[in-house]
Amino acid sequence: MNENARLVGTLVSFGIALAAAVAFFAVTGVGGYTAVARYGGAAWVFLLALIVAMPTVLPLFKRRSGG
Amino acid sequence: MNVSVRTKKERVTIPVTGMTCASCVEHIETALKDVPGVASARVNLALERALVEYDPAVAGVSAMVKSIQETGYGVAATQAKFLVLGMMGSHCQTRIQQAVGETPGVLKVTVNLSADTAIVDYLPTVVSSGLVAKVIRELGYEVTEKTEGQDALDRERQAREQELARQRRNLFIAWPLGLLVMLGTFREYWILPAFVPAFLGDKWVLWALTTPVIFGPARQFFVNSFNGLKRGLTDMNLLYATGIGAAYLIAVINTVFPDAGFGGEKATFYESAVLLTGFVILGRYLEAVTRGRASEAIRRLMKLQPKRARVLRDGQEFDIKAEEVEVSDLLLVRPGESIPVDGVVAEGYSAVDESMITGESLPVEKKAGDKVIGGTMNKTGAFKFRATQVGKETALAQIIQLVENAQATKAPIQKLADMVAGHFILGVHILALGVFLFWFFAGYNLWFSPESRFILSPYTLTGLGVFGFSLLLSVTVLVISCPCAVGLATPSAMMAGSGKAAEHGILFKGADAIESLSKVQVAIFDKTGTLTVGRPSVTDVVAAGPSQNDVLRWAAIAEVNSEHPLGEAIIRGARDRTLPVPSPETFDSIPGHGVEARHEGRVILLGNRKLMRDRGVDIEPLLVEAERLENEGKTAMFVAHDGHAAGVVAVADTLKPTSAAAVAQLHRMGIEVAMITGDNLRTARAIARTVGIDRVLAEVLPQDKANEVRKLQAQGKKVAMVGDGVNDAPALAQSDAGIAIGSGTDVAKETGHVILIKDDILDVVAAIEVARATMRKVKENLFWAFAYNTASIPLGAGLLYPAFKLVVSPELAAFLMAISSLTVTLNTLLMRGFVPSIKRQRESERFAAPAEAAAVGGGNR
Repeated sequence: MNENARLVGTLVSFGIALAAAVAFFAVTGVGGYTAVARYGGAAWVFLLALIVAMPTVLPLFKRRSGG
Repeated sequence: MNVSVRTKKERVTIPVTGMTCASCVEHIETALKDVPGVASARVNLALERALVEYDPAVAGVSAMVKSIQETGYGVAATQAKFLVLGMMGSHCQTRIQQAVGETPGVLKVTVNLSADTAIVDYLPTVVSSGLVAKVIRELGYEVTEKTEGQDALDRERQAREQELARQRRNLFIAWPLGLLVMLGTFREYWILPAFVPAFLGDKWVLWALTTPVIFGPARQFFVNSFNGLKRGLTDMNLLYATGIGAAYLIAVINTVFPDAGFGGEKATFYESAVLLTGFVILGRYLEAVTRGRASEAIRRLMKLQPKRARVLRDGQEFDIKAEEVEVSDLLLVRPGESIPVDGVVAEGYSAVDESMITGESLPVEKKAGDKVIGGTMNKTGAFKFRATQVGKETALAQIIQLVENAQATKAPIQKLADMVAGHFILGVHILALGVFLFWFFAGYNLWFSPESRFILSPYTLTGLGVFGFSLLLSVTVLVISCPCAVGLATPSAMMAGSGKAAEHGILFKGADAIESLSKVQVAIFDKTGTLTVGRPSVTDVVAAGPSQNDVLRWAAIAEVNSEHPLGEAIIRGARDRTLPVPSPETFDSIPGHGVEARHEGRVILLGNRKLMRDRGVDIEPLLVEAERLENEGKTAMFVAHDGHAAGVVAVADTLKPTSAAAVAQLHRMGIEVAMITGDNLRTARAIARTVGIDRVLAEVLPQDKANEVRKLQAQGKKVAMVGDGVNDAPALAQSDAGIAIGSGTDVAKETGHVILIKDDILDVVAAIEVARATMRKVKENLFWAFAYNTASIPLGAGLLYPAFKLVVSPELAAFLMAISSLTVTLNTLLMRGFVPSIKRQRESERFAAPAEAAAVGGGNR
């Protein structure tokens, strides 16, 4: 695969996962959750979102780059 | 003018290492298909091989290997070291590197001028070290391989054994420590306080016992999933890594920071992390066992390949490598030795055991002019034979290639399973995220109770906070959903089935052939040469006065100078009865009517009604018999001697001895049987009646046979066509499962989807039985691979929790996952005991025969 496309794809995947984690953290800010639950939950959401995003996003960029 | 250029596709089998599950299969297939020039790629997890079809003008094997390695997997290349004498300078070095490097299957060549060596990395599935040596020798150098004890087969076995040993070592670390952690965790319950020391329940002791498992046996999951993620790939390793990692991390946090809100000291999930590892590794170990067992058929065939040959050159005997034998070499075989290559006996006499190739259990006699098959075992005498096929051209090499190709292909059902498994992992992670969010934002507040327990455990989840609880269920879903046995379910059964078939001289060209044959509803048999022997012979002799022998002898004398097939059949019939067949004094052929001959001064007539009437012979008394014979599909010929009707000789293409039994057995299996022939309807019906065939397709020209198959398919039926593979090729290709019967050892030329080495029609029954048994096994395996996990996903996601306050522990989830692997493994191993019904019958007849003889003997007085 084109290295450039892979790098962009990885960055986009991280972006999506980070956005999901931030969204989770923001939502839990109004629910009276403990700091551990908020940070731990955000970390878990980030990890799972990254795992879901990477194999979904990378092939899209790969196709687009003709690789 | 349109000119279409058709590129010639080639196939290569690449041994792949490092695969663990069905998603690996998908990753490698995708990577290979991305290589320019690759037309198709099929990866078999159980066989650990990739079968690639490519255009050699565009794609090279090296590019494929590179793409596999870039995806994070290995290629099991073999290295050979050669001592090369006669190199004069760097131009020799370049010549060798270029020539060997261009040999298909060679990955890397390093020629060392000062040490006179050439080190070659090659794919043993494509090229052999003997072939590499031959390339160097043809350049004019003297070359010998520096053998280091192992050939490709041994190395492959060694690699498998290393993998087994590694997982066994992991088991021996994970399980004892896991059991100690279990005892420590539950030391307050049941009878355990009586004999489990208190210090074993200490959190730090539990940490000390668990940590070596996480950084030892479980390390492979973290490393593999990280390597996959770097390339944007997810696989089963990731499920294990997230599950084990999360359980261990929570346990460590609760040990070091008990007030962090993860459930506190009472919620250290060390036993979850350690048992999860234990069960997953148990599953891995079982998969490695299954993989090793599944390729047994190929290994068994490969073991048959003789390593050495005794060649006679200039009157001297040389002991050389079998792969260095050349066509037309004269070879010597002594009693008890394997025959090194295919050939024709030049002199000597022996009996040869061919059971390993053809499935024929009795030794076959060999005399000058008879064919011998490489890999078969010489039993009694010594003989010399001339090589006709060597290397990859031998029957054994072709059979191995065919079985390997078949095992590397995918049945439609497997493609579906792989696709499901490949997407399943992504789906599982989405589900795990969903479960986490649901319990975090809704479920915990609605239903959580401090009295919650794990199923089958006295352990309570009292101190668990919202995050700990949601995380626990999320991790459990990850582990419980893992369909790790799916990747092996289909290929292992297919391999066991095709291997079992090969043992009986039945070769499937692909997994799709097994699946198609298992679904067959109609079997169409070509008549001539398939149901029948394929050459006419005397079936009846009716005498009107003289003896039957006289009638047959006169008929034979009349035909002795004829070259008509019917005449040949009569002469053979007379000689079979040891009747003298001298040449007649005169002979006259009457085209379309018969023959006239004179012997010992008497006129013999042999022919049809018209000939007899023209010559004034009264055949009235013979007409009823003649008609009866004709109604049975036989050709009736009148014999007159000295102007009087002597009798009738009937000739027909006789049925093979097993035809009727095979048709009856197919009927019992619920398969409709049809016969296709160019004969007239009356003859065809007569034969069909004798065998018990339901449907007759008569007066069909060879080129129209495929149309008849198509007509049946149009009625929605799955059709198998059984023929001799030469003039039935279009019909075999058109059918859902084309069975080429009696190919002998020339398997590569056959057009069918299924090839029967022997000319025994009962093997058609055996082939269908093996196919059905294999598909049954595939379906059972897929059921077990998915059933546990699918059924337990709702449990893992907390379905029982609102009502019963029970959740599945991660270790129970892992146990269920390991159980599915265990079930698939054991179920596949059961296939090893499968014997087709006809073989069972024959075995029991063979055992019964001596017993009966003894009984008869005992009855004599």
